[in-house]
Amino acid sequence: MREFLLLDLPMVASALLALIACGTLGNWLVLRKESMTGDAVAHAVLPGLVAGFLVAGRHSIAAMFTGAAVAGVAAILLAGWIRRSTRLDPGAALGIVFTSFFALGVALLETQGARQIDLDPNCVLFGALETLFYVPPASGSWFEGVPREFWTLAAAAGIAVAFSLAAFKELTALAFDAEHARVSGIAPRWLEPALLCTVSMVVVASFEAVGSLLVVALLACPSLIAAPHASRIGTRFAISLGAGTAITVAGHLIAAYAPRALGTQAALNTAGMIATLLAAAVPASFALRALLNRRRA
Amino acid sequence: MGGNARMSQGPTDALPAANTMLVLSGCALFGAVAGAVGSFVLARRRALLADVAAHASLPGVCLAFLAGEALGVGGRTAWLLLAGGAATALLATWCVPQLARLRGVGPDGALAVSLSFFFGLGAVLLSAIQSHDSAAQGGLNHLLFGSAAATTRSDLVMLAVLAAAAIAVVALLFKEFAAIAFDEAHARVLGLPVRTMDIALLALLVSTVVAGMQVAGIVLVVSMIIAPAATARLLRGSMPRVVCTAALLGAGSAIAGVLLSLRYESLPTGSAMTLCAGAAFLAALPLAPLLVPRAGAPAGGATP
Repeated sequence: MREFLLLDLPMVASALLALIACGTLGNWLVLRKESMTGDAVAHAVLPGLVAGFLVAGRHSIAAMFTGAAVAGVAAILLAGWIRRSTRLDPGAALGIVFTSFFALGVALLETQGARQIDLDPNCVLFGALETLFYVPPASGSWFEGVPREFWTLAAAAGIAVAFSLAAFKELTALAFDAEHARVSGIAPRWLEPALLCTVSMVVVASFEAVGSLLVVALLACPSLIAAPHASRIGTRFAISLGAGTAITVAGHLIAAYAPRALGTQAALNTAGMIATLLAAAVPASFALRALLNRRRA
Repeated sequence: MGGNARMSQGPTDALPAANTMLVLSGCALFGAVAGAVGSFVLARRRALLADVAAHASLPGVCLAFLAGEALGVGGRTAWLLLAGGAATALLATWCVPQLARLRGVGPDGALAVSLSFFFGLGAVLLSAIQSHDSAAQGGLNHLLFGSAAATTRSDLVMLAVLAAAAIAVVALLFKEFAAIAFDEAHARVLGLPVRTMDIALLALLVSTVVAGMQVAGIVLVVSMIIAPAATARLLRGSMPRVVCTAALLGAGSAIAGVLLSLRYESLPTGSAMTLCAGAAFLAALPLAPLLVPRAGAPAGGATP
């Protein structure tokens, strides 16, 4: 029990906070047909993050956030500008920008002393969930032993939920008929940039702990799992977060206990396991819907 | 998993430093093929599918590694890794249209789901291999971000074979590819097998991705397919001109990237190549408006 509280709980709780943060905003992105924007932002924030680290040191969350958020928003704006001014197709514009940003980040990381800021390219992709455990502090109150990433993720989840609730009506209008929402003035002009900024902030916060792979999966998959079962947007949020929670916990348990059960020493990557299960659940969810429909008919 | 990510045993048939020329020419060949194939990939608006294909080769590579170990031929057998990578990459590109057909998923969601599944599986398999301390795993870590310095002789042979095959296919099917890229509906009316050609293009794309995996890395190899071709499309011109420009730019970026990564040892080759190709695109960006006729320009970018 004690082992579970110290080792498993912080990891699972962090992954669940990342799910709340990314899954909530992901619903808006998926409805707007912008699932791959999440992928782009998740890669593009890297140079900003590394620059923040290099300039202000490991523990300056403010510098890290500012750098990463600036890089994320800059990448999306740059891709949009390239698309408009060159008539390249959106995928190509996005592809060039985010691979270049990511390459710059990896280059900075590798050449500027990665160990010094202890973040390595492998963690950038696949996260460092396995390193988030509770270290009971020698003195002081209990919460000083909680990993820093946990609080960052909690803040991100709070921001994502608060933003979605505060602008629920406007975001819904924007998601279902962007043109109408803009023209009729239901959605104010600042809403789309605000959504983009919130997405990049949440991506940055999640990125460090769960890695770019799981960020992409968390943004797109929960909403798509809910898609065949929900006609109302509130229901869709509820199903996506509920199913996401179950899958995240399952992913962690499999990654942590399956090798032990099979009697091997292998340590499986938790973020990868959760991402795989989330993605596999999308077609499974559609198949379940088809099955339920057939039974009813 | 970060800790044991940096194990780098020397590859078994490592090239001596004197063979830099050999590595350079191999990379240049890859860059040229990536540029040429990328021109058609972009014309068919498949840039992000290429990204998914590249990432999806990871689980295949890991499975091939494990199979190689189990069969006793050695995990790091170049042809086995490439075959494994190609198999899962093709599977992932097959999944995308199937997923996109589901109501509410759409092309963007299908790409994200396919990417998450295959790359996630790759992450799990890679972590399993890395924790299972095997002497032969050296070099597998380089596959994520690429390393020209760790290229082996057999890697280069495989690269050259795949590149030569890709160039032959592009040359043979050039007219058909160009016609479909320019105007799909028109090509259909002419009776061209659009579906078959798309499958051929996909096969080319996947071979390019796995051929470049060792030097450019799985994560960033896609930039060598997108960026040189996009730069060439900015500069416009006929399809043969776009393809040739893209091939030249690709070869140039690859050479510059390799030289940079050999000069600064800690810089992964994939990052260096991507940055060079991205810089070429940025440099061409201001030229584009000068070269684009303001009115009446063809929407697709290239004219046959």
